[in-house]
Amino acid sequence: MESIAFGIGITALAGALATVAGAAENTESDIGSQGDPNSQVQLAPQMGFLHRIFNKAIAGEPPAYGLWICLGAGIAWAFMAMQINPVLALVLGSALAVFIQGVYATTAYLGRTASLAKFGQPVFVDVLKSMTTVTMAHAFVAIFTTVTMCHLINAALGHPFPLPLLGLVWGIALGAAGSATGNPFYGKERQYQSQKFGAGVPISASGNIVRYAEAGERNSLDNGWFSAKLGGPASGLCFGLIVFLEIWRTVLFEHMGAGWGAIIVGVIIILIFTVIDRYIEVWARKNYGPYAKPTEEGS
Amino acid sequence: MTVKVEVIEGGVPHNTILAAGLVASLVLIYLTYANVMSGTQLFSFFGGLGAVAALVWGSHAIKHLCSYGIGTGVPSAGMMAFGSGVIAMLFATKYGVAAPIVAVVLAAVIGAILGFLSNNVLNMRIPVMIQSLIEMAIIGALVLMGFAAMMTGSFEFSPLTSGSISILGLSLPSYQASFIGGSLIAVAFMLGGIAIQHPFNACLGPNWTQDRMLMLAAECGFLSMIAVSVMSMALINIVAAVVSLIVSLVGWYYTYVKYIELSKRDAAGWLDSKPIPDVEGQ
Repeated sequence: MESIAFGIGITALAGALATVAGAAENTESDIGSQGDPNSQVQLAPQMGFLHRIFNKAIAGEPPAYGLWICLGAGIAWAFMAMQINPVLALVLGSALAVFIQGVYATTAYLGRTASLAKFGQPVFVDVLKSMTTVTMAHAFVAIFTTVTMCHLINAALGHPFPLPLLGLVWGIALGAAGSATGNPFYGKERQYQSQKFGAGVPISASGNIVRYAEAGERNSLDNGWFSAKLGGPASGLCFGLIVFLEIWRTVLFEHMGAGWGAIIVGVIIILIFTVIDRYIEVWARKNYGPYAKPTEEGS
Repeated sequence: MTVKVEVIEGGVPHNTILAAGLVASLVLIYLTYANVMSGTQLFSFFGGLGAVAALVWGSHAIKHLCSYGIGTGVPSAGMMAFGSGVIAMLFATKYGVAAPIVAVVLAAVIGAILGFLSNNVLNMRIPVMIQSLIEMAIIGALVLMGFAAMMTGSFEFSPLTSGSISILGLSLPSYQASFIGGSLIAVAFMLGGIAIQHPFNACLGPNWTQDRMLMLAAECGFLSMIAVSVMSMALINIVAAVVSLIVSLVGWYYTYVKYIELSKRDAAGWLDSKPIPDVEGQ
């Protein structure tokens, strides 16, 4: 009983860390226009819309976060193998991973922008300086919380995978959660605020992203502020739930039926979420679909 | 992502880069064998340099493959290279001193099978597919072997799978504290997988230039070397690890500064705190 209470405590802590990680990850990638909003940021200058938005495409989010978290975990593992205090090792590992992330971000922005010279898109040095540091700060939060979570899973719950391998698995999961949940909020909503809600992006509007802000020209910090409101927390909730439910079912049910208990509960959870997702989709189409005929009572 | 068809104009031909990359990478990885000859671990950094040579070649191989309009395939090409390369590399480590050569041959076979499957079974029909996938598998195997040699001082199976942990001053053998047992191979995999695709992914576009992309490839390689040298502190003696760290820091700084200069040369403008410039037709 005591071990189950301990396991549930670790589960809750890991879920909380994952929630913070998801929120930070999505805000970081939105400030860098990584993931699916990137294609429009990349396309805009080619359609004649020059902009001051940060464009750091370092692969998709899942591989990129696979590297950052795996690297943070690997360096932390190496420091722990050298008998350094785990807390210090986790911080140092995350810090070095963030350094690598920052260097990749600058080279991505410089490379992408220099290759668009034909269309007159200049490199904005102030964008590079101010955005890179902000993405690095968010990336540090995401990396440190996820690597700490992996360390908890490994050291407190006794997961058999070594820390770097757990980092790779959960890093890809984190990137996928942020990419799937939070990005549409920036890519479909924020970049196209000037278009009719729910109209999709017609070909004629391709690349015509919003480039001017309430005052002056929009930059990626404005986008970070915007997506930190709903996109970030939604990603956090998504990744937090993934981690929480995953560990919860293992801690509680792995002793039933020689491990099959946890697998059966996992399948049941997937089925429940499938039903919920289908219900929300149908409900949203019915209420917000743009092509519905107006009714007598008014929309 | 739109379809991008870019022709390589001017610059060094691909076959020259292929030959130079393959030879340089093999020679540099073999130079880590000086560790065995001299009984030290000081020459481990040559493994990292071999990985850098393979990555420079790899970024150009991706460019070569992706000029056939595989727009979104750039990052996945990197994963493909390392996925096929890791099999060849792990198998080859059993062959002792012949390991790098065996890795190249085996990776070529795996790449040829994958290329045949994608071209003839999946019907992709891309002219350079088979050759490119062979190259990618070899590059993946060589980069992994280079990083493995840099972290452990050797490219043979037993040093890669056994390490030692010291408890209260006693040194105990441990399989968990090793390159493969501790899954540091996963870190090497991701470091290489991102470093190989990033140069072309970052530099694609109408104003792509070869020297800028290759400089970025070297920069990514040295940057990965920095991380590898820090992790090697746990597996090889501290002096050798510090030598590796210094070599990688110097190489990284030089290539990073050069890359920024080349970007400045190619960019349409280099503005600091300026508004969006006016363009005709807006």
